[in-house]
Amino acid sequence: MAERRGSFGDQPQHLLYESKAGGYTALRKALFDMKPVDLTNEVKTSGLRGRGGAGFATGVKWSFINRDAPGPKYVVVNADESEPGTAKDRYILENSPHMVVEGILIAAYAVGANQAWVYIRGEYDEPSRMLTEAIDEARAKGYIGPQPMGKDYPLDIRLYRGHGAYICGEETALLESLEGKRAQPRSRPPFPAVKGAWGRPTLLNNVETLATVPWIINNGGAAYAKLGTDKSPGTRLLTVSGNVRKPGVYEVEIGQTFRHVIMELAGGPPEGRKVKVFWPGGSSAPVLPESMLDVTTDAEALAAARSMAGSGGVIVMDDTHCVVRAAHRLLKFYAYESCGKCTPCRVGGDWAVRTYERILANQGSQVELDTLQRVSDGLQNGRCLCGLGDSAGWVIDSTLRHFREEYEDHALRHECNVGAVPANA
Amino acid sequence: MSALSSQVLEEIKELPAKYPQPRSAVMPALDLAQEELGHLTPEAMSEVAVALQLDPGYVEGVATFYSLFHLEPTGKHRFYVCTNLSCMLRGANEIVAHVKQSIGVTHAEQVSADGLFSYEEVECLGACEFAPMMRLDHKYHYDLTTERVDQLITERRAPTPLTPTLSPGGERERKPRAPRKKKADG
Repeated sequence: MAERRGSFGDQPQHLLYESKAGGYTALRKALFDMKPVDLTNEVKTSGLRGRGGAGFATGVKWSFINRDAPGPKYVVVNADESEPGTAKDRYILENSPHMVVEGILIAAYAVGANQAWVYIRGEYDEPSRMLTEAIDEARAKGYIGPQPMGKDYPLDIRLYRGHGAYICGEETALLESLEGKRAQPRSRPPFPAVKGAWGRPTLLNNVETLATVPWIINNGGAAYAKLGTDKSPGTRLLTVSGNVRKPGVYEVEIGQTFRHVIMELAGGPPEGRKVKVFWPGGSSAPVLPESMLDVTTDAEALAAARSMAGSGGVIVMDDTHCVVRAAHRLLKFYAYESCGKCTPCRVGGDWAVRTYERILANQGSQVELDTLQRVSDGLQNGRCLCGLGDSAGWVIDSTLRHFREEYEDHALRHECNVGAVPANA
Repeated sequence: MSALSSQVLEEIKELPAKYPQPRSAVMPALDLAQEELGHLTPEAMSEVAVALQLDPGYVEGVATFYSLFHLEPTGKHRFYVCTNLSCMLRGANEIVAHVKQSIGVTHAEQVSADGLFSYEEVECLGACEFAPMMRLDHKYHYDLTTERVDQLITERRAPTPLTPTLSPGGERERKPRAPRKKKADG
């Protein structure tokens, strides 16, 4: 068992369920007691929403695949977890890979696919090993193969290793990469459900999303829908990192406050410090200041707070750190990871980084602040094929909105009024 | 004399049949090439292209896109130190500074004088609850301190490695080897 930090199913909720090899009761039920369309409907009833970041309704996504279309169809699993501050897919793959395997097999049967591909990031050596072992075990038990559990419906899962590119978390970029190309997002339509991997209808789901499916099939979509909030049902894994005493991956019922997650589960900031700001859903989710700790973890409350639930990566920063430096670091990330296909993102990221550098070198003025706002506006609102540019814009926009004074200290007064200044930042 | 061994070239030629379309073999093929040579030379990329019946420029275009392909020589052990936000907030920059100083290099492209080490600052590696962290020799190392970094370096400088190189996920071996088990170093 891999090293773990956090909570894993220590509340009576779905991820408590760890299907070991030998279990697979949900797969048995799916193959023999239910029709494929029932599976899709059960997931629709559950209200499960994608846990990768976009939060799209999973059952609806499944229903986009025409099960009766002739020719091969694929399930592609997005295990390219690389949103800063997010470690929950690694956690699931290392600690309970069979949940993922079972979820994949059920999804494949539901949408009429015989072959699933797991696109796993290249740095995930241990998770790859754990998942490969789980697949081998399931194959040895006869759950994967030409006749899984005796059912005349071939099912197979294979891994494809990524090679270091954040953009591959975006589903069409992932498909390009799987096809042996530079990972640059595709123009849509056609959507992957119609024309996905190798030109065939393809269902793309995140690891955590699929890991949730066996519970839903075992217990029913209605039971799952009772957890969480009306519009964001269920539980999810939040990765809490940064300046907290007990960083970890915590399973929470959706709708809890961030105060509960950060101050109670993760133990709050170190002695003598205060929470200054947090990223509620990975670095791409617009920041929220300490005064908004009582916002709840559901997508609706976060949207009302002008942020998003994203990947569930909760990054906490305390009052000894400088927001401008943190934003600079994240913009360097987005500029570096831009695939270069769309001009606003390719140019805007670097432009923002250079502007931050001027500000942090005490060469800033009102011009730099205006430039940041202009670049931020230019990056947002669907000017690019994917969300990477928007995310970069949101970092600038949200930190400027909540911490204007700190920016002005740096740009106009050439001073930093925050304690710790990290080396080389 | 080709850059890649005939054994690796044969393995590469078998890859395309494993995918619905042959082009998907390009990254696994580059993996094999990098595993054998340590990094991707222009000759190696050309040979991969010929073996897969692709344009050499196309293969190089793929290789340059992904950060785990190295086009310059690397140390036998490469530190991939995460410096993204969660790690930065817990001292990643001090870890990077310590790694650089300890292995005696000033920038990421440089290999230590003994050829053993190089380093790279990387983006989030997805183990944020263990920050600051890094990847080294196919393994994640958590809760880094300067003492821990010193220990990892000392172990790898020891004439008799304390960690046997044939351990699962162990070091990359440059000498000719038995049929492959491990993936290339990232």
